[in-house]
Amino acid sequence: MGSKSSSLNKIPNAQELMQETGFSAAHILRLYERFEFLDVDQMGELRPEDFGAIRELSMNPIGDRIISAFFSPGKETVDFASFVRILAHFRSTETNRTRDGAQPEPANSRTRKLKFAFQLYDQDRDGKISREELLQVLRTMMEMQVTEEQLQSIAERAIQEADLDQDDAISFDEFRKSMEKVDIDHKMSIRFLS
Amino acid sequence: MPSRTGSHSPTGIGKSLPERGLLLLMVLVLLEGSVIPLGAASSPDTGHQKNVDNHKAEGEKNHTKKAFPVLDLDYRHIQTPFEISLWVLLASVMKLGFHMIPRLPGIVPESCLLITVGLLVGGLIKLAGEKVPPVLDSQLFFLCLLPPIILDAGYFLPIRPFMENLGTILMFAVVGTLWNAFFIGGLLYAVCQIQPANPNELHQLEILPCLLFGSIISAVDPVAVLAVFEEIHINELLHILVFGESLLNDAVTVVLYHLFEEYSAAGTVTVLDGFLGIISFLVVSLGGILVGAIYGILAAFTSRFTSHTRVIEPLFVFVYSYMAYLSAEMFHLSGIMALIACGAVMRPYVEANISHKSHTTIKYFLKMWSSVSETLIFIFLGVATVDGPHHWNWTFVTVTVILCLVSRVIGVVGLTCVINKFRIVKLTTKDQFIVAYGGMRGAIAFSLGFLLKKEEFPMREMFLTAIITVIFFTVFVQGMTIKPLVELLAVKKKQEAKRSINEEIHTQFLDHLLTGIEDICGHYGHHHWKDKLNRFNKKYVKKCLIAGERSKEPQLIAFYHKMEMKQAIDLVESGGGVNLPSAVPSTVSMQNIQPKKPPPAKPVEKALPKMTKGREEEIRQILRSNLQKTRQRLRSYNRHTLVADPYEDGFSELLIKKQKMIALEKKIKDMNYYLTVPAAPPDSPTMCRARLASDPQSYSSKPAMDRVPTIQVDLASPQSPDSVNLMDEFRRADQQEEDQGLTMKAPSGQSGFNRPGEADRGREQQKLTRCLSDPGPSADEEEEEEPFLP
Repeated sequence: MGSKSSSLNKIPNAQELMQETGFSAAHILRLYERFEFLDVDQMGELRPEDFGAIRELSMNPIGDRIISAFFSPGKETVDFASFVRILAHFRSTETNRTRDGAQPEPANSRTRKLKFAFQLYDQDRDGKISREELLQVLRTMMEMQVTEEQLQSIAERAIQEADLDQDDAISFDEFRKSMEKVDIDHKMSIRFLS
Repeated sequence: MPSRTGSHSPTGIGKSLPERGLLLLMVLVLLEGSVIPLGAASSPDTGHQKNVDNHKAEGEKNHTKKAFPVLDLDYRHIQTPFEISLWVLLASVMKLGFHMIPRLPGIVPESCLLITVGLLVGGLIKLAGEKVPPVLDSQLFFLCLLPPIILDAGYFLPIRPFMENLGTILMFAVVGTLWNAFFIGGLLYAVCQIQPANPNELHQLEILPCLLFGSIISAVDPVAVLAVFEEIHINELLHILVFGESLLNDAVTVVLYHLFEEYSAAGTVTVLDGFLGIISFLVVSLGGILVGAIYGILAAFTSRFTSHTRVIEPLFVFVYSYMAYLSAEMFHLSGIMALIACGAVMRPYVEANISHKSHTTIKYFLKMWSSVSETLIFIFLGVATVDGPHHWNWTFVTVTVILCLVSRVIGVVGLTCVINKFRIVKLTTKDQFIVAYGGMRGAIAFSLGFLLKKEEFPMREMFLTAIITVIFFTVFVQGMTIKPLVELLAVKKKQEAKRSINEEIHTQFLDHLLTGIEDICGHYGHHHWKDKLNRFNKKYVKKCLIAGERSKEPQLIAFYHKMEMKQAIDLVESGGGVNLPSAVPSTVSMQNIQPKKPPPAKPVEKALPKMTKGREEEIRQILRSNLQKTRQRLRSYNRHTLVADPYEDGFSELLIKKQKMIALEKKIKDMNYYLTVPAAPPDSPTMCRARLASDPQSYSSKPAMDRVPTIQVDLASPQSPDSVNLMDEFRRADQQEEDQGLTMKAPSGQSGFNRPGEADRGREQQKLTRCLSDPGPSADEEEEEEPFLP
């Protein structure tokens, strides 16, 4: 216990982070160790190249989108607090400790999880997934094994199915509605973090 | 249920009574028919023998000439197959009968009814004084009746939920069954020992036979679970938990059964034996899975080469699976796990290789066999109950039943506490209740009991009685009450809605996302390994096992094509709507065409102006004549060859044609004219292989023709300058066409305008029907020319 609290002291704002994200001390420590491992030049911040060094991530079709999700628009580095905050989205919902109504919605609520996923689609942050954005995602996921018109038809169908207000793009509410049958808590949670 | 029959109007109700009477009469005749041959079989045997001897003796002496028998009755010749057929017929007619009775299927599960029928039949046979055919106590059960059911379950096992819950399922199957076996066996022994006033027989019961009994009775039975759970439609998670458990506990049962059976004679089990038992368990389960996987890969590999002999494709699936089962049984490995592994492993590759007809064949054969098997098993259970030697002992039987229930509940609750620590989605109390309540015993337990030898187990009859009682209790009481309980507890039901393309896309996206996050965290979790397996699969395995182009097709595309095809078929089946724009599978979307919805609110950009009646008639005429010509070109039917499916052979040419059509369409679209979109997906083999809702043969071209939706071609008035450009465009496009794929030789004049639409429609309609029937490949190319020449 003693060693843990002293290692916790190394981490800036550890208590606040725990409060905000709901991670336990053990989790914060584990994440900090990982953070330090990724941070090769020990600057206390991560850059895109540090993420790129993870080999499996580079093989992931949406790897670069995930990486860019860690970086707030305009910033080029990620500090530990932001790192933890992003990962807090992937905690399992069921381990939430009771909170009073005054606190903001926890990061791992269903809506926040969906919002995170939505933002990965919506690269230009206009609040909608346009047809072009959807096509891009499909293209990267299929990895050039399909013809362009097949992609077009899939995208067309997807938008037609989800688009309720006929604006030819999928807004966040429409996205949420189309996912209502999917068990997001299960699909977007990592056991490691709960 | 009443409302459905009610809708038939009074004549329907009036009709059903004589129907029912007829059915009952038929059943009685069948029963008599089955009893009499059995009677006839046993008695004249000896008589016949004597006669033969006499005749031989006489013949040697006299060589008398007997009258040539014009009509002779020789039952013995065909006895066995005849009786088997009678039993199967009885089972099937029973199944028919149940669904004719209006309210019964809703209240009583089919398995109960079948057991009752079996009891009746058994009673009849006993009354007639004949011997009951020994089915459940011979290898017939394990070798013939059980495999179809398991194969059906394994082939159609939903892999994703199964794998996601594998840990939970294994815990229930292995630890739960072990707990049940030892708890029941041990407590039974204790109970038997403690009653001093009881007849001595119970005291004779050793610990090992008790444990053996415990292991026989503790296993949840897949047949019974399937039979009951199929009717209550609970959510996927619970279904896969109970069902998966019933499949995987076979390994435990096999090991325990053999272990205790072997050592019952010896009388003691040492620690070494226990240790060997554990190793044996690992060998049995992993070995079974390995055997199954090997045969599965063999089957997948074989199916790669079947493109020229489509007729026997289903045979490979069945034979390889059955051999996997038999091979596993040969080594005393778990045959059930081998069968499941074989079916699950071979399915993705086989489905990519075989034709859509073979797929339908496999599906329906499996369903048919498993259905018949299940029915027969329950009937024979009833028959064997009436027949079998029984020895009723109140204490033993009641204690057994109570212990079964208690141990199941304790086992499930205890295990769930442990499991929930590792699960993301926890199991609620309601879930636990259903899992505990759904643990039914069935025919496997009975057969295992029947196989015990009387010499080694003097208590065999008592065991059998107890097993039967437990089976009856679980099937009748639990089977009948589980449905109302599910309603009462408001357990989540199975979601009937189909997966939408959005869900599919987003699920795949989330998979990638989670894999990425796991990599960032440095955590080698669930997603990481799944991703690795997928990569390995895509890179190496698919190339070996899937023929040709299909090996590169991503899953999303296959899914999408299936959806489009299905919707197209639904549309054709329902006749389409006369006023709806475009009808056949289009690249753009099938969403425009949902006939059940009211006319779309956005008709303006998508709706195309109606054609005149005359034009419509003309089109129908043309299409009809084309399709008739197509049919005439069918080669003569030969049992050994199926007419080759053009889509599977000419894939690349069709793809090129299609691309050209798409390019043309784009050009046209640019000019703000909407033509019916060329049909794209029908070219792909996946589309053709999409699961058709019903038998393809039922789609003759005629009905589709009569309800042809109008082609609506959005045109400016013919006199406008744009229209002229369009025609020029076509002519130019024409000259660019090397092959005759799109012979849009637009003639001058107004009629030419509609022709391109017709061309497309004609082609599309042909393609659609071609997917559904099998004309010769040559039919396609030549037909296209004719209607479109001026």
